[in-house]
Amino acid sequence: MALRKPKTKIKPPRKHGTDQSMQDTWAALALAIQEIHNHNTSKLSFEENFRYAYNLVLHKHGEMLYKGVRDLIAKNLDRLAKEQIIPAFPSGAEGDPTLRSQQGERLLKSFRRVWDDHIDSMSKLRDLLKYMDRSYTPHAQVPQIWDAGLDLFIQHILGPTIAEPLIATILAQIRIERDGYTINRSAVKSCVEVLLLLDHPSIYKKKLEPAVLHESTSFYREEGQKLLETCDAPEFLRRVSSRLESEESRCAHYLTPMTHPQLRAILEDNLITPNLGTVLDMPNSGLEAMIDGEKYDQIATLYKLYSMVPLGLPIIRKGLKTSVERRGKEVNEVNQDEDADEGEEGPAKPKGKEKALAQANAALKWVQDVLNLKDKFDRVQKQSFKDEISVQTALNEAFESFINRNPKAPEFISLFVDEHLKKGLKGKTEDEVDVVLDKTITVFRFITEKDVFERYYKTHLAKRLLNGRSVSDDAERGMLAKLKLECGYQFTQKLEGMFNDMRVSADITASYRKHIDDLVDVDRPIELSVTVMTSTFWPMTHSGSSCIMPIRMTQACQVFERYYLSKHSGRRLTWQPALGNADVKVAFKARTHELNVSTFALVILLLFEDVEDGERLSYNEIKDAVQIPDPELQRNLQSLACAKFKILKKHPPSRDVSTTDAFTFNNDFTANLQRIKIGLVASKTETTEERQDTRNKIDEERRHQTEACIVRIMKDRKTMAHNELINEVTRQLATRFQPNPIDIKKRIESLIEREYLERREDRKSYNYLA
Amino acid sequence: MANIQDKSESEWVRVLSEDGWTFIVPRKVAVASGTLKNTLSTGFAEAEAATCHVPHRGAIVEKVMEYLSYKTLYESAGPKEDIPEFSERIQPELALELLMAADYLET
Repeated sequence: MALRKPKTKIKPPRKHGTDQSMQDTWAALALAIQEIHNHNTSKLSFEENFRYAYNLVLHKHGEMLYKGVRDLIAKNLDRLAKEQIIPAFPSGAEGDPTLRSQQGERLLKSFRRVWDDHIDSMSKLRDLLKYMDRSYTPHAQVPQIWDAGLDLFIQHILGPTIAEPLIATILAQIRIERDGYTINRSAVKSCVEVLLLLDHPSIYKKKLEPAVLHESTSFYREEGQKLLETCDAPEFLRRVSSRLESEESRCAHYLTPMTHPQLRAILEDNLITPNLGTVLDMPNSGLEAMIDGEKYDQIATLYKLYSMVPLGLPIIRKGLKTSVERRGKEVNEVNQDEDADEGEEGPAKPKGKEKALAQANAALKWVQDVLNLKDKFDRVQKQSFKDEISVQTALNEAFESFINRNPKAPEFISLFVDEHLKKGLKGKTEDEVDVVLDKTITVFRFITEKDVFERYYKTHLAKRLLNGRSVSDDAERGMLAKLKLECGYQFTQKLEGMFNDMRVSADITASYRKHIDDLVDVDRPIELSVTVMTSTFWPMTHSGSSCIMPIRMTQACQVFERYYLSKHSGRRLTWQPALGNADVKVAFKARTHELNVSTFALVILLLFEDVEDGERLSYNEIKDAVQIPDPELQRNLQSLACAKFKILKKHPPSRDVSTTDAFTFNNDFTANLQRIKIGLVASKTETTEERQDTRNKIDEERRHQTEACIVRIMKDRKTMAHNELINEVTRQLATRFQPNPIDIKKRIESLIEREYLERREDRKSYNYLA
Repeated sequence: MANIQDKSESEWVRVLSEDGWTFIVPRKVAVASGTLKNTLSTGFAEAEAATCHVPHRGAIVEKVMEYLSYKTLYESAGPKEDIPEFSERIQPELALELLMAADYLET
């Protein structure tokens, strides 16, 4: 309060209680404080005692007051310790945990009682001695009476005599609870609270926490051993995660959350980290068993625990990878075995067709197995690993490695797609097929030799298109779109070209028909439907197998050729009779049948038109007349003479056609159907030579691609170091296949020879020569 | 503090001066003084009786009570409100004793 008018007369202020001597005042106050300690506060006058303290401070007896009060507090604490805490010490008897827990609880509770008592009286003293705290303590640079009270508590109660048994008791309580018995958590909590409150850093941090951590370490080290010996993997994981939870709740409920990270680290270091591999590989219950049993929640627990420690995830990833690779290897081996079986039994089997079919089945089975495996691990990944990216990567790597270990993988996948896009699919709706194809694409993604796949896919697609066996244009285009999405425009360019050719050919055929109809010429050529294939798009070789066609067919071809060239000048048409087929009416003795045969077969059949019934034509005669290459001729003769419908008779009759055989027209042929389709003996999966051939073609293509790639890069960079160039080429070609550095080096050398590139002086890098 | 809540029903407390004056003031006003607050809240005899002694003359205690009322009234006043100056109401002859009382009562 500010004084405005200092001029007015001021009375000297009267001093309170000067009549009493200071000694008396203190004696009275000391008595009052003792009364407070004896819980008789309500009998005391606050004002009176406040005034005592006030006067003592006012008359410079602050120090005496302060020390006196301290002594009183200390005495009281010693009394409390002796009366309340010491008698409550547990007897230390080993015995029933419940009993021990109760004994401990008694100590904890009495400790807390003493604390509460102390705090209660301290708060009263603080109020009484407020004036001292305000005037004396800051000046004397001693702690305020409240803090002094806390210090005294630490000194007198938490000295070694009490602190040690107390901490031991808390540890014992924790241990008892860890052993599965119930303890009074709130009793522990009330003590821990006190320890947390006192001193900086708190007594808890200084004394209790290290003790707890030490104890926990030894406990869990033992526990880890015990669990490992007695439990299988799921049980181990369950126990460990329940331990983790209970420690967390322990920290939350009666220790402090601050301790949790350390405690958790102890758990991780003692229970999880040392046992990572052991648990994962536990026979009959480890990761493998879990995957086999589709125990997703167990795997999820595994993942949860393992992902806590830095080493965990890599181990899981490794485990998964091994698992996938092992299973993948099985799939590969099973199917190879079947392949091998085929090889051995091959000669015994009646026809190549069945063998081919079995091989195709093996391919389908392989892809299906891979898809199943993929499905299985996708489920594991989704349900147990919450789509963790690093796990996905590991899985992908594993799939990639085993899929590519099967050299036939690209062919098999293409066959699988072929099977699903073929007409007359049994029991699958278009949507289902679409799902299957989507999955196939995911497998396709793993293939490194995408160019090999492309080659097979092209062949299969061509067959489907030419034989009109594709299930629908939409399905085909859908698949193409998927491939395009995966590999880009380049990859599907040629495939799309094939589709385009089909469409254009349909138009051309239609307009050609119209053109023929418009002709006034009486002698119309035989009906013709032509597919004009752009030679670079289609996988067939230009030369192909040709034959000598009868005059009528040649005429028809010529008419079309004239018509086509009149529309598009400057193009060259090459006929590919090996790929065509024909409808022909044949008059047998019984009735006339309409036969659908390959063009070659038609040419062969037409030979028999001119010979007498029953007259034989030898293999060589036929060959001379039609000029069809041996393998094709044999295949066609076989399908005419040895298959289900025997249009020709072979002499001597047998399954296979040899060059010494002779044939007659089977005039006695009968069949129930009016229209008969004479299928060619299929050659589905390739024979070894064919495979070798394909391989060579692919290698050649790769050489071209590698060279093109090198030139492209060098043109851009002009100069480049060897290693850099190799890396860049590898990177750019990776979407199509995995190039071998040695091959790249060979290509570089060849380019140097042809003077596209030159070596620089340092022998490590190259220049581009324009 | 718990005690305040217990006694909150007795809204009025007595403040006695040393020369026998009794002031009946709202508890709210009395506890604006730190000392009076402690007197009335800790479990001492005064808390039971809701009565406290102040070792000063009636005139001083009256002025202190006046100030405490003034303080509680304007404590929560908004910044725009017009707050009269209290020091104008202090007679100079009381000033020194009032200062002592203020120190004692923690106002």
